[in-house]
Amino acid sequence: MRQAGQAAPPFSPVLLLGLALEPVRPSLLQPVFDAMLNLVRRRHPDILERMAAYADAVICIDPTDLPFALLLEPDPAAPRLTVRRDVDPAEVSATVRGPLETLIALAEGRVDGDALFFSRQLVVEGDTEVVVALRNAVDGAGIDLLEDMATALGPFGRPVRAVAGAALGLLSRLRRDAETLRQAVIAPAVQGAEIQSARLTELEAEVKALRRAARPARTARGQTA
Amino acid sequence: MSTAAEPARPDLVRPELVCPAGTPAALKSAVEAGADCVYVGFRDETNARNFPGLNFSRKELDEGIAFAHAHGAKVLVAINTFPRAGQPELWHRAVDDAAAMGADALILADIGLVDYAARRHPQARLHLSVQAAASNPEAIRFYAERFGVQRVVLPRVLTVQEIAALNAKIRPVETEVFVFGGLCVMAEGRCALSSYATGQSPNVNGVCSPAAHVRYVEQAGGITSQLGGFTINRFGPGEPAGYPTLCKGRFVADGKASYLFEEPTSLNTLGMLPDLIRAGVTAFKIEGRQRGRAYVAAVVQAFRAGVDAVLAGRPVPDLDLDRITEGGRQTTGAYEKAWR
Repeated sequence: MRQAGQAAPPFSPVLLLGLALEPVRPSLLQPVFDAMLNLVRRRHPDILERMAAYADAVICIDPTDLPFALLLEPDPAAPRLTVRRDVDPAEVSATVRGPLETLIALAEGRVDGDALFFSRQLVVEGDTEVVVALRNAVDGAGIDLLEDMATALGPFGRPVRAVAGAALGLLSRLRRDAETLRQAVIAPAVQGAEIQSARLTELEAEVKALRRAARPARTARGQTA
Repeated sequence: MSTAAEPARPDLVRPELVCPAGTPAALKSAVEAGADCVYVGFRDETNARNFPGLNFSRKELDEGIAFAHAHGAKVLVAINTFPRAGQPELWHRAVDDAAAMGADALILADIGLVDYAARRHPQARLHLSVQAAASNPEAIRFYAERFGVQRVVLPRVLTVQEIAALNAKIRPVETEVFVFGGLCVMAEGRCALSSYATGQSPNVNGVCSPAAHVRYVEQAGGITSQLGGFTINRFGPGEPAGYPTLCKGRFVADGKASYLFEEPTSLNTLGMLPDLIRAGVTAFKIEGRQRGRAYVAAVVQAFRAGVDAVLAGRPVPDLDLDRITEGGRQTTGAYEKAWR
């Protein structure tokens, strides 16, 4: 969910998907996330067990390249994952914000949460303890979303794996194409910036030389003459 | 640093790679990545990484030990905080349970707890935690002779030469040194910086700069990190960030904002492994029980490759670990004391 004043999300197929989803009502997407929560709850009950101390928390999971956010209520007895177009900061305990692919990689333990934070790819706001607990609980669960879905589908798992594999291949190609497109779009701006940078370096050298020339001569004892 | 190719070195003792795990999944990752030992803690304040959502229940540790042993790896249990005065029961129970579960060693810091473990579980292997800050031959010999401590985890204050000299004086006591991860600039086990700002410290509560006291405030010009209500750092747009600890805060002195104690950076001794092995170190420890599986797998694989290369007489591979370091930077810390 794009917020005013925040860094722009990366140009990616997900961002384009987000634009396509703009007109879609959140209520139409809700069943997908209900099913996803049920699946994770069934396959990884230890996540909610580790989050038991934070049953009353409301965590906003905010993919910056999609037009909606998810509110997670990790109450072990009645967990909820709600799709929302708008979120009032006052109604959530904490927010985790980042590109969708980064958030999925984090959930699957393919990237380290601290490293994402150090490199500023992940933004954390509000109650840091809740976010750290969720990160640790999810990382410890060993989630593999695709494998979890395929396993849950039983005999239909195999074709689903095949379709998902093809989709991931397509996504990878789209990502490459998006990057090429991005570079083509920004090429004139990059060229202009390079010219300005070179000119700035020249000017800095000139200022340095002028300062050196204007510096008063010093005596052998180090005092200003 | 010695990274040049050398012939296979059967004369060198193969050091153990001691790797962190904050969850059962991380333990599995560490073992599969080539850890000789995995160190873990219970889900309470008896260990120095008492972070929310982290650590092992009794059942998880039992299963973790079984998994590690089935794959030829050891499990070391860190019970390395200092019991509250007059209330040692939680720590005693941790020692009893870890010993009963078949932990390969107990990592202890408090001298009273070391005494308890030595008397109640004479068969248990005892390691002295870095939190005990034992760094001279007299202190180490005392722990070894009085309590039968077999290994000491050295504080990160000694040069490689000092470690080699120390090893010569304390044999047969083994030494374990940190080779990668976060750094503490203070005397470990005695740092109270976190207590000043939050009322909680790693020494007693098992947590430095607890997350409940940390806030990040996003603004147009960057991000501000606060600890216990105090602003301790501000990172500009895109500037690599670090942990929200006071020792890595940026403070204004003489009108200039700078890191007065330590800059956000991670220890990385990959290039120094030949020197550390020659110094007679028994075990290499990777910091980071609070880090994710991806970190554990990447660092353990890198150091497994590094140690194996040294023992085979090959150069240490130049593996890029920049992306997982704090602040995107690395240092060899006190091992070289390059600032001298």
